[in-house]
Amino acid sequence: MTNAVTLLTISDGLSIQFASDGLGRIFLCLDTVMWILAAIYASKYKEHMKKPKQFFVFFGLTYLMLAALSMAANYLTMYLCFEFMTLLSMPMVLNDGTMESIAAARKYLMYSIFGATLGLLGFFFSAYYGTSAVFVSGGVLDAAKTAGKEGTLLVTAFISIVGFGAKAGLFPLHAWLPTAHPVAPAPASAVLSGVITKAGVLCILRIVYQVYGAAFLSGTWVQTALIVLALITVFMGSMMAYGEDLLKKRLAYSTVSQVSYVLFGVFTMNPAAVLGALLHVVYHSIIKDCLFFGAGAVIFTNHKEYVSQLRGMGKKMPVTYGCFTICSLGLIGIPPFAGFLSKWYLATGSLSEGLPVLSWLGPAVLLLSALLTAGYLLPISIQGFFPGEGEKEAEGKEAPGRMLFSMLVLAAATVLLGIFAQPLSDVMQQIAGGLF
Amino acid sequence: MSPVQNVPAFSILILMLCGILCLVLPRTASRRLADCAIALVAAGNIALLLYFLRGADAYIYSMGEIGAPFGNELRAGMLEAAVASLFSIITLLSLMGGRAHLRSDIGRQKVNLYYISTLFLLCSMLALVYTNDLFTAYVFVEINTITACGIVMSKEDGYTLAASMRYFIMSLVGSGLFLISICILYAVTGHLLMSNIQEGVAQLYAQGQYRAPLQVAIALMGVGLSLKSALWPFSSWLPDAHSSASASSSAMLSGLVLKSFIFLMVKIFYRVIGVGIMRSHAVLDLLLVFGILGMVMGSVNALFERDIKRLLAYSSIGQIGYIFCGIGLGTSAGVAAAMVQVAVHACTKAMLFCAAGGLMDASGGSKKFRDIEGAGRRDPYAGVAFIVGTLSMVGIPFFGGFITKLSLVQAAVTVGGWRNLLSILAIITSTILTAIYYINVLAIVFRAPETAPTKASEKLREEWKKQVRLDTEYEFAIILFIILNLTIGLQSDRLMQIITTGLSMFG
Amino acid sequence: MNGIGILIAIAIPILGGAFVPLLDFGSRRARESYVMAIVLAASVYTLSLLASGQGTSFVLYHLTSTIDITFRIDRYGSIFALLVSVLWPLASLYAFEYMSHLHKKNRFFGFYTMCFGITLGVAFAGNFITMYLFYELLTLVTVPLITHEGTREAKVAGVKYLVYSIAGATAAFIGMIAVLSHGGSLEFDVIGLGSAATPENRRLFDLAFLFMFFGFGVKSAVWPLHGWLPTAGVAPTPVTALLHAVAVVKSGVFAIGRVVYFTYDAGYLDGSFVQKVGLLFSAFTIIYGTVMAWKEMHFKKRLAYSTVSNLSYIVFAFLLVTPSGLEAGLLHMIFHGVMKIALFFVAGAVMHQSGRIYVTELRGFGKAMPVSIAVFTVASLALTGIPPLCGFLSKFAIAEAAVEESTPFAYFGIAALLISAIFTAAYLLTICIRAYFPPADFEPWSLKSVKEANWYMTLPLVLLAAAIILLGCFPGPLMRFIGGVVPAAFPGL
Repeated sequence: MTNAVTLLTISDGLSIQFASDGLGRIFLCLDTVMWILAAIYASKYKEHMKKPKQFFVFFGLTYLMLAALSMAANYLTMYLCFEFMTLLSMPMVLNDGTMESIAAARKYLMYSIFGATLGLLGFFFSAYYGTSAVFVSGGVLDAAKTAGKEGTLLVTAFISIVGFGAKAGLFPLHAWLPTAHPVAPAPASAVLSGVITKAGVLCILRIVYQVYGAAFLSGTWVQTALIVLALITVFMGSMMAYGEDLLKKRLAYSTVSQVSYVLFGVFTMNPAAVLGALLHVVYHSIIKDCLFFGAGAVIFTNHKEYVSQLRGMGKKMPVTYGCFTICSLGLIGIPPFAGFLSKWYLATGSLSEGLPVLSWLGPAVLLLSALLTAGYLLPISIQGFFPGEGEKEAEGKEAPGRMLFSMLVLAAATVLLGIFAQPLSDVMQQIAGGLF
Repeated sequence: MSPVQNVPAFSILILMLCGILCLVLPRTASRRLADCAIALVAAGNIALLLYFLRGADAYIYSMGEIGAPFGNELRAGMLEAAVASLFSIITLLSLMGGRAHLRSDIGRQKVNLYYISTLFLLCSMLALVYTNDLFTAYVFVEINTITACGIVMSKEDGYTLAASMRYFIMSLVGSGLFLISICILYAVTGHLLMSNIQEGVAQLYAQGQYRAPLQVAIALMGVGLSLKSALWPFSSWLPDAHSSASASSSAMLSGLVLKSFIFLMVKIFYRVIGVGIMRSHAVLDLLLVFGILGMVMGSVNALFERDIKRLLAYSSIGQIGYIFCGIGLGTSAGVAAAMVQVAVHACTKAMLFCAAGGLMDASGGSKKFRDIEGAGRRDPYAGVAFIVGTLSMVGIPFFGGFITKLSLVQAAVTVGGWRNLLSILAIITSTILTAIYYINVLAIVFRAPETAPTKASEKLREEWKKQVRLDTEYEFAIILFIILNLTIGLQSDRLMQIITTGLSMFG
Repeated sequence: MNGIGILIAIAIPILGGAFVPLLDFGSRRARESYVMAIVLAASVYTLSLLASGQGTSFVLYHLTSTIDITFRIDRYGSIFALLVSVLWPLASLYAFEYMSHLHKKNRFFGFYTMCFGITLGVAFAGNFITMYLFYELLTLVTVPLITHEGTREAKVAGVKYLVYSIAGATAAFIGMIAVLSHGGSLEFDVIGLGSAATPENRRLFDLAFLFMFFGFGVKSAVWPLHGWLPTAGVAPTPVTALLHAVAVVKSGVFAIGRVVYFTYDAGYLDGSFVQKVGLLFSAFTIIYGTVMAWKEMHFKKRLAYSTVSNLSYIVFAFLLVTPSGLEAGLLHMIFHGVMKIALFFVAGAVMHQSGRIYVTELRGFGKAMPVSIAVFTVASLALTGIPPLCGFLSKFAIAEAAVEESTPFAYFGIAALLISAIFTAAYLLTICIRAYFPPADFEPWSLKSVKEANWYMTLPLVLLAAAIILLGCFPGPLMRFIGGVVPAAFPGL
């Protein structure tokens, strides 16, 4: 990273620095766009909230921290922003004030802090064994100092990545996600799932490629283990979503699964796979936000939370369900919607990497998961529009305009980014290449 | 021969003479005589000590110029002079400190008798310090016992009579054992003068003869004298005797009488048996183990006491344990540590008993904790004395108690094996327990009036306000005791030098 | 600079404090003014000594031919003296308000002030015997403070404290004398055992080290000798805050540092069996303390267990026996003092204003006592280790020192540090959540009678929070001051 701006020098080797590189800019843009849409949505949804003022304060503060995180130029700054982002986003989860939401917020806090603390381990070691505090593509480890200590450093790398993976819902630290996302107000669930999880992804990207370096980690047991964890998460998330009746929880499990697609790509450490991962970051954010907005619309207007209650709802909420369906198709990976291209690159990247077993196992799991995704998303749309003979139809009306606006924008993006994929793909390719 | 060399003999004689005179003199005169005699003796012995410090050697003083082996001998060295001075000074201070109680406890008619007992007591202690003849030692041991009982009994109430009886009987058992031991030694070596006996014993040991009788003699002498100096478990007589007696009696008993027997024992070990033989005898281990048990058990018992004088008595048992622990370690560092404790404990315990007397006075004569609450504020001298005593017992530098702890620990860490570990554990345990019960006493004694005012303390406060000002003699005595304690704490180098040189002159 | 200045610095609070119970103050104002005057005078004077008097020494008395009572101002002692001098005036101000509703104030402030002087004595001691003198006096002068309330609980706590402390001090004393008797030096300007450490003596010196480590480890609350600290939580808050977060317990770790770096040295200890023992026990204590804190529901006892854990951070850092270890330990000594005293003060303010003593009772206090809870949050975040607050910096320093050492025991310590960070978040941040985000069924009028504490208590809190932030962002001068220890403690370097 060039031209890093130092905000504060605490001591030798410890400073708060910010810089903007391609990767950071992408995340920043994504954050900003999603936040604006969610704000618009929330301006209407707030009528359903217990403490709207508190919500918006922390909503805004979380965005600030996310922006800072995207621009973080070294490990310390990244860690600082990560922790503060956790602290500032937690109050959104407990907005309802019920014992359940407070417990969920506490769980979120604990998992995140646990994860961040594990991530701190990487900082301790990279600060000592690294040549530069600032992120550098290819890694910062000092070859002379690390001689003989590779084993230890691999362990710390693994632990740190799993730690930051907590925010991204990586098994085994994913359990907070299905608990926290459903109880938060819908705009919060949307950004938590769509954007904040990607903050974890960003941290992992930085650590893998710009602290330890792909060369150091590639081909080691760490890579194997991480890919295995990602694949487990992909599969498990889909399975759990398939069986879940509470709509927001189903979507939360879906997030668990989908974000690990991204991580799978990151861990494969191959330009094509990383390209797929970065594309999926954008696609999944757009799609999942829209899905959550839809679920939130159902709750807001019709006070129904369970999938089984929604037979025939599509006829009552056509726009909402329309957007929902388009995004579902994108998530499953059906061309020409956004979501196909990312999965394509993930699969080809994995196959070309040449890892034993995992190279073909990965795409296989992705395929299986796509089928499951279809299994847990399409029925919602199908039953919504075609409730079936003799089934009780749900009562309801369409969502208010502002909420529809956000959903429509995102659905349109899903279509457009799928058809006109080239510009984004080129940008991402450049960024992915720059990480090696 | 320098004139000061006559001091030992004359000290003993003067004290005896004055004691007899007190029989016929009226009360105030006998008091003045006693004070002067003791002061004179103290001055003389200090002069003798200075004489040795200037580089003189130990010498033998034949009584009446009749030579050995038929005559009687005294032997004076640096250590003896120091101990004798200490005994005299403490006796004087104890008398001063407890004077008020003499008036109230003993009654005007019999005060003379008290002074007689005291003078003979000091006389016998000095004799034990200086004598070079075993049988003379025995004679004065008996005189010591009788006069000690005397000063306990002189306060006539049921407790003291019962206590002194018990003391007397157990003491006599001790004396008896001591006598048997002397008889054996005499039978085997044919001498009564210590130096002569030592030659005989050494000879017999080298030839391997009479081993068994000698072992028995040493053992009996150890046990006999231990009984009299309250080594645990032979100390059961002590709490009653020391707690029921009048203040100055308790001070002298705890501070001095026990020490005189210990000193005699050390003298016999060095001069009669000989250091080499002593170190290989099992009796030292026995003394060590019992000393350690005493250190712990004495403190444990003190922990549960609710009577200030009994607490101090049990504390004495614990402190005596330190001395035996030092002796039992079997090294010269250990004996030096024991001697330091002799000096420090003499000053400290005597001061505490006098102060306890003061506390009792400020509490209507009661010894119980519930009555002496807050007494430290009513009688500030006693309060300060207890603070100094506690700091000394806990082992804070600048006070005498630190020096004893220091020397004992130094002795313990330089010895090897199980003795090392056992004594260290004992020191730790005993320090903790001592700290607890002394600080508890401080808390009680300094309790502010507004908390827990019992009916008793209300009444006492009223009475105290009516009472006349404190006895100046008592105040003076307390101050001097404190100065003495601090002197040992601050000038310990000089003290250690006296002890080590004295010990080397000893045998 | 005349060395007698050191004696003056120590004597002002001791003598000034000793007079407090004896004088009859007409009003609360008079007593407060007197006490604050004494404390400020001593603080200012000490700080001036630290600035200008580095390296002075002063032999007060030759106790025996081999033992002196000596005072010295060296960098290591100055750091401790700095901490104590800055915090005492704040704590006294807080105590004035806190004690206003309790009794026996004269006695309390007498001992409280004397404690200041005695702690300075520990800091400025020039050899072990002098330090031992003040260490024992510290125990004696704090017992009445613990038993102040006079309840049965308080007396039990006092006796427990006394037993543990005297046991520890005596064991340490024995270790000291063992070192002295076999040729080691107890003077703090002589580093290491030197020629006395022959292979034959090794076992003895190892044993002596263990005696001193565990002896001083009592006050440093090393498991299993920590038991007195949570029980002493019944004492009035100014006592638990200042004494059991700053003065008494830091004396313990200070003493261990003296043993490790000044009596023994890196050459002897590095890689030795006793170092491993020390690292193991301190790492275990880090975890033990933090888990017990998490389980504990009594507010002050929770903070007491937290202290147990954090003290072992310092002990662990010291036992790495490297320059970075020494600096890291000292950094945490100062930072933890500031953070923990802030936390205890808030706990005390809550107790003082509302009578609540359990963490489960603190719902909604964020609105009722905003300043206090805000300070609590800042201090909690700092203690958890969130940058850029000071707690992160000291944790980082300790971890870096361990990474540098790169032995399995050092790594175990890093793991303990991280585990402790997680639990710290759990037992502190949940309090903040409860205070700021009470559940929906919480009734605000239930806290109507609870008001924020007055300026006597909130001013120290705010200053401490500011310190936590500033020390975290601008630690440079302090770190340079601490760095000055290294040349003295590592003469070969």
